[in-house]
Amino acid sequence: MALRTDVTALARRQHARKPHKVEEAVTALGVVAPPPIQVESPYFTGSLGTLFTCVRERKVDLLTVPLLPICEAYFLYLLEATLKDLDNAGAALAALSYLLERKAWSLLPVAEPVAELELPTELIAPTNHEYETAITSLNIWQDERERMFFRPPDCGPDPYELPFEIGNVTINDLARAFEKLLTKATVEGVKPLNRPRRSISEQMKVVLKALSQDFKSLDQLITLPFSREEAVYWFLSLLELIRLGQVNVRLTEAADVEFAKAA
Amino acid sequence: MEIVDTLEALLFVTDSPVTLAQMAVPLELTEGQVEQALEVLHERLNARGSLQLVQIAGGYQLCTKPDFADAIAAFLKPQRQKLSRSLMEVLAIIAYKQPITQAEVDQIRGVQSDYGVRSLLERRLIQEAGRKQTAGRPFLYTTTQQFLHQFNLNDLSMLPPLSTGLPVLQVEEGGLAS
Repeated sequence: MALRTDVTALARRQHARKPHKVEEAVTALGVVAPPPIQVESPYFTGSLGTLFTCVRERKVDLLTVPLLPICEAYFLYLLEATLKDLDNAGAALAALSYLLERKAWSLLPVAEPVAELELPTELIAPTNHEYETAITSLNIWQDERERMFFRPPDCGPDPYELPFEIGNVTINDLARAFEKLLTKATVEGVKPLNRPRRSISEQMKVVLKALSQDFKSLDQLITLPFSREEAVYWFLSLLELIRLGQVNVRLTEAADVEFAKAA
Repeated sequence: MEIVDTLEALLFVTDSPVTLAQMAVPLELTEGQVEQALEVLHERLNARGSLQLVQIAGGYQLCTKPDFADAIAAFLKPQRQKLSRSLMEVLAIIAYKQPITQAEVDQIRGVQSDYGVRSLLERRLIQEAGRKQTAGRPFLYTTTQQFLHQFNLNDLSMLPPLSTGLPVLQVEEGGLAS
């Protein structure tokens, strides 16, 4: 399709010398291209499609390219176009709209950037230098304080706690006895957490019943079979009874721990 | 004189600072009378003996005079609890800015302070005192009575005012030339 209009005259009146030449409207890839409107100006020579691409990629300064002759050429093209050229016409309209909008924006005056106000100098960050005097003072006070000795808090035994006597039995002896007891216990299955709980005070009554004035080892006190839980209850009860002075404990020659009810 | 002796006995058995009110109630005295008696006791102890009366952590307590520190230290062999520079810095910031969050301490110091805060909490020199009503509701920290006691302070008003100037650049002799 050839386009021969008065664009030449219009363009020449502005800047361009050659108005247009014939181009295929559909590219090889089938993409609709703008109609073959040729633009010729001192700063750009090429088709409308090429101008559109170059402007979009900022390769051409649109301010140097007059758009009026191109718009007039487009109107003439519309007058001569047939119904089959609607796609081309639409593509040309989109390209022209884009160019007009871009040019309109670029013609708007640009506000000069406002010079930033210089803010007053702030303290350097971090600001921990403010605490130098305080740290020095604290160090001095700490040194002074280290030369003063006070009665330590919570020193000595609780005045309301009776001292308990375990003779030559050590904590390690008691721990060994407990360990030995656990080895003989049967491993019980997992029980639900919300099961009814026994209290140590109830178990202490059971233990006191089992004890007599005669010293007995744990093996003699607890009858087989017993679970690990029962072993723990037994041992904790014995410890509590020792603390309360109701049970005496001794170490045999065979390094076995024996228990008896206190007189 | 009887009141002074009674106060001395009372202070002797206590293991923490006692306030005027705490002493006044059992002795059926006014706080003013107790204070006057303590002044007499203070003078009397200063004049003789190995003990002294100090005003510490908001109360009164008896302690040994510094002259006997070496002998007592050799006897008790106390564990030295001197704080490092970083711990002291965190502690000072919390003491002045309390209640303060850890993030605010970090901001002032310019470095993370989680170790310092945790260590001071373990030493019971600072404590959690509620949460700040901001995003994340972080813990607020304040100093404790233990802090006052460990640094021989009666209250926080004894802390010196903060320096306001910029830090002075420490230049070693000949440092600029080299």
